[in-house]
Amino acid sequence: MFVFRNAWKSVIRNKGRNILIIVIVTIIAAAATIGLSIRQAAATARTSGLENTTVTAQISLDRSKLISESRQQTTTDSDSSESSGADGKPDFDAMRSALADKQLSLADYQKYAKSSSAVKSTYYTETTGLSATDDFQPVSDSDNSSESSGTDNSKGSSNVSDSTDASGKQNGQSDAPPDGKMSDSGGMSDRDGGTMVSGDFSLVGFSSDEAVSNASNGSFTMVDGKVFGYGSSSDDDVIISKSLADFNDLSVGDTITVSDANDSDTTYKLTIVGIYKNSTDSSQQMGGPMRSTASDPANAIYTSVSTLKSLGLDADADSDSAAQLSYTYVCSSKSDYETFAKDVKKAGLSSDYTVSSADVENYESSLVPLNNLSKFALTLLIVVLSVGAVVLVVITLLNVRERKYEIGVLTAIGVNKVKVAAQFTLELLIVTMIGLAVGAGVGAAVSVPVSNQLLASQVEQQQSQQSSQREQFGRDMAKPGDSNDSKNGSDSGDGSTTAGENKGDDGTSQRRAQGGPGMMGRAVDYVSSVNATVDLKVVGQLLLVGLGLTLVATLVAVVFVLRYEPLQILADRS
Amino acid sequence: MITKNTNVVIDGGTEKDSERQSRQADAPTLRLDDVSYAYTKGGKRVLRNMSHDFHAGKVHAITGPSGAGKTTLLSLISGLAVPTEGKVLIDGEDLAKRDRYRFRSHDIGVIFQSFNLLPNLTVAENIILSMEASGKSFDRPKKDIVDGLLGQVHLPKEYANERILHLSGGEQQRVAIARALSYDPAIIVADEPTGNLDLATQDDIMGIFRKLAHDGNRCVIIVTHSPEVAKASDEVFELAPIRRRGKRNN
Repeated sequence: MFVFRNAWKSVIRNKGRNILIIVIVTIIAAAATIGLSIRQAAATARTSGLENTTVTAQISLDRSKLISESRQQTTTDSDSSESSGADGKPDFDAMRSALADKQLSLADYQKYAKSSSAVKSTYYTETTGLSATDDFQPVSDSDNSSESSGTDNSKGSSNVSDSTDASGKQNGQSDAPPDGKMSDSGGMSDRDGGTMVSGDFSLVGFSSDEAVSNASNGSFTMVDGKVFGYGSSSDDDVIISKSLADFNDLSVGDTITVSDANDSDTTYKLTIVGIYKNSTDSSQQMGGPMRSTASDPANAIYTSVSTLKSLGLDADADSDSAAQLSYTYVCSSKSDYETFAKDVKKAGLSSDYTVSSADVENYESSLVPLNNLSKFALTLLIVVLSVGAVVLVVITLLNVRERKYEIGVLTAIGVNKVKVAAQFTLELLIVTMIGLAVGAGVGAAVSVPVSNQLLASQVEQQQSQQSSQREQFGRDMAKPGDSNDSKNGSDSGDGSTTAGENKGDDGTSQRRAQGGPGMMGRAVDYVSSVNATVDLKVVGQLLLVGLGLTLVATLVAVVFVLRYEPLQILADRS
Repeated sequence: MITKNTNVVIDGGTEKDSERQSRQADAPTLRLDDVSYAYTKGGKRVLRNMSHDFHAGKVHAITGPSGAGKTTLLSLISGLAVPTEGKVLIDGEDLAKRDRYRFRSHDIGVIFQSFNLLPNLTVAENIILSMEASGKSFDRPKKDIVDGLLGQVHLPKEYANERILHLSGGEQQRVAIARALSYDPAIIVADEPTGNLDLATQDDIMGIFRKLAHDGNRCVIIVTHSPEVAKASDEVFELAPIRRRGKRNN
């Protein structure tokens, strides 16, 4: 009691010195609060960001691995990759055929879906090309569209099955956007479609409503009619885009006739049961060169997988025009996704395949600036706390030396040294607690704007880094297709030299190339604001930090107090 | 009664018996038992084999020339230092074995030569600090006791809220006495209490000490080199300078 009262009196008495300490502690505490709350926000974002949202996952072939393996097998390959991409082309065909064998069938996908309990649901789409007939023409806004689609056709038909395999895989990698926000990534697969889907229309078969709502061309709304059913009774029911309907002057109930992309003699009759309008337009179709009108979202004809099956165009069909399968697993959280990835490995998925999730990858790349900020916050914390500790220790040291006489008098009148030390500790504790409280308040008030400001600069830095990467890669907006080609062949442009030499490098350069076109269509949706509010956990951490610093500082005081002998102090004085 | 012989050696066995007997009749409040003191271990001894009894109800004066070890003796009595050899006995109990902090805050009031008041505290705060440090409980509010003490040392009540810095040497001396009295100790020790005071003040302060001893039945020990103070005391304990004593012994 005596100690408390004396400490309090002493705090009141030495206002000037204590205000100085309070100011210093406030600054330290405010900086620490900001640092802690940033780290807290980053940790929360990391763990809870995908907690309650569904995560979609795909199984895809690890092509870079297979390609590099087959590369090592061919001795002539090293020569060709050194000279030029064109010389290496025959090898790519060989590689593609190697990849073709690895393509998973619908049954395989379903087997893996059953192997894990973490899968909430699954859906898939099958995409194939259809050609125009005289009374049903694709929407096209350029004069030479027939020309370009012609070249594409010839190119596609030269090795249809190979390119289909390769791009079907590609589809699997970047398809199935989880929601409207991500729809642009779906657009990327659409661009892939430019290289693969021959014909004038793309016929997309959906397995369920869930698949429809995750359509690769983005979400849509029905203008007229309604969406087809999935049973065999709804076979040949299709919905077409409003632009396509207007272009051909069609309405619900009309029948359209289209021909097989690879065999114009085979025609299919389809009934229009609905007309839809894309609510999110893929932005990149404006800039990207359309290899095929089929890749134009306006020329997408949606139907059920059952229809495709009845037409003999489904993925398991033997036909050249067999659809490419895009199978999507839906998990209810990120941790479920991770469980799923483990389970399929257990179920016998070979290491040639990888389980990936566009959602998780997107989310993780969106966290890059936040993670950088978190690292920065840690550095800030360490610097602030170590400087703070030193300053506090020095102040305490001076304080104790200055009050040597007081210590002498107190011990001389019979106050125990331990009590004196406790009083000094308590005094510092009172002062630092006031500083901590004020600092936490200031920190709480400024942490949101400050951390968002810091985050904005991180995002900016990240974006400028990417744009400089794009410059380095020498690819501009006009030729996003080139970067996709480099993905297929993994040997074109400047990336090839490093890609050929190093597998790891290959992976990163691929990802960058992928990120490149993504950036053109839309900026990666970086987490650009954090909810860096100061909650109880942060306050608790701050208190711990404050107590820790005070203890360090008072330890010095205690050592000094215990060292002093009252007789010596008083003798020195007189 | 004047005791000039400082080197009284008492036989250990008989001393204990006589001590027990004398405590019943006229037990010394404080007894120095063959005390020696050196500031450094094995160094020069400032005090050598000193024995003396201090009784309650009397004013004792410790005199001697500079360097005789007066202040050192005071440090030993007040428990600020522990004798290198021998014992300081308080009511027959070895001070070295007691909690000396408690002894200082509880049983002895020390008036230091340089007063050792806290300059940035007021008079009342200084006195109350000692009262609180003693851990004793008081039947009256501490402010009232302070007023009473100020009257006892002949200071006006208005001084209670005055800072020590604003007081003269004599006034500080009185505050120091008031502080030493505040928790009602059995022993009061003063180091040169009249050192830099004028004669009238000196007499006044000696009067206070005599009153404390005779009326309050306290054991008052005053270290001084002033003959007037020694004369006004009931008993004088004269220390000889240690160097000269050493020479004489040789």
